Amino acid sequence: MDAERGLMLKVARGDQGAFAELAQRYAGRLLAVAGRLLGSRADAEDAVQRAFLSCYAGASGYNPRWAVSTWVYRILTNICVDELRRRTTREAHAERTTMAALAAGSANHQPPDAYLDLHRALARVPREARVLLALRYVDGLSYGELARIRGISINTVKSQLARGKTLLRDELGKRGAGHA
Amino acid sequence: MRDGKHRATTLDQLDRLLADYFRPGDAPPALARRITAEARRSGRGLEALEDRLGIEATPRGISLIRTGRAAGKPTTAAARHLVEQARLEIHEYLRGQRAFFRVPVDLEAVPDFQRRVLEAARQIPFGEARPYAWIAARIGHPRAVRAVGTALGRNPVPLIVPCHRVWRRDGGVGGYIFGTPVKDRLIALERITPVLEGCTSTRIVCRVGCVHGRHMRPDNRVVFASVDDARSVGYRPCKVCRPAA
Repeated sequence: MDAERGLMLKVARGDQGAFAELAQRYAGRLLAVAGRLLGSRADAEDAVQRAFLSCYAGASGYNPRWAVSTWVYRILTNICVDELRRRTTREAHAERTTMAALAAGSANHQPPDAYLDLHRALARVPREARVLLALRYVDGLSYGELARIRGISINTVKSQLARGKTLLRDELGKRGAGHA
Repeated sequence: MRDGKHRATTLDQLDRLLADYFRPGDAPPALARRITAEARRSGRGLEALEDRLGIEATPRGISLIRTGRAAGKPTTAAARHLVEQARLEIHEYLRGQRAFFRVPVDLEAVPDFQRRVLEAARQIPFGEARPYAWIAARIGHPRAVRAVGTALGRNPVPLIVPCHRVWRRDGGVGGYIFGTPVKDRLIALERITPVLEGCTSTRIVCRVGCVHGRHMRPDNRVVFASVDDARSVGYRPCKVCRPAA
């Protein structure tokens, strides 16, 4: 963890090699979070690129009291959440349907339909809980870190995760159970 | 029957399923190089526009924003105050620190048809675009698409009345009073400017650009997709900018 803080301080001094290393460390995980939240590889890459740009440009504002991961995930989730907002209004304007977004869904190395039930079930989980689920399962972040990333209390993190999982289980149950 | 199916997905199974689903893939190669190249290019050029703006106001609101000519001096203290407010808001807007305008506009001198066009354009949410035909339909003249274009082209208060959010149906930019490259940049700017942000220390959610936001430390900012989302995790809406309204 301290090695990462050192890396960040180098990035803040404009060290491009350090930035490349930071990007390499986080790119896969950030893409997984963004891909699963936004549903398309192109949107996810765009979000991750913007997040890294923001990390690079704002590195001097990095507060070493924070774990680097907290800081990086805060920046990424801020971007993804705003993208989700935009998508809701766009959908209301009927430019894009939920199903089209879902069908575009394969963000990872898995074939698109392998997790279609889960993907659809997740779309029914409220956004804040969905964001927490993604962070929790992509990187195994602790409740405390999730709380700091989203600026909420640890109890709220716990209740949101529990509620999200209950909803998912019910949804998958309705669809005749997921993939055992 | 329903219970039987529920049992088929236990929380343990769900845990494994989620872990598989969210497993990170590989990072695209040369990502870092692409980003640093992008960072070096990031002179956005909108700041130059700001310096060239002449702004006029009446005591009721902003009445004219144009480039390339000196604005008439405000005749009253109220008008002067409004011009200052507009300058500040435009300054923040062009830097991605504001997602709404509070300063009033005065469209009294504008003909009725054009005023209705401009009012309709004001309804387009921040960061979005609508075709000229959308405005035409909205004001009850679906065939007057060309007239809508002309009315927007003569928008006396661009930026504040967001005629840059109106594009051609085929995705073409259409015209713009400050030139089409600026129109492109404004849409790109709005695409990366969030609209709602919460302060992690006060647990208050504001519209981006609210006076409260100015005092917020960067590492206290969290973005929300809606006021309801923010409420669901313990934030309350700001009473000054009233994001729920």
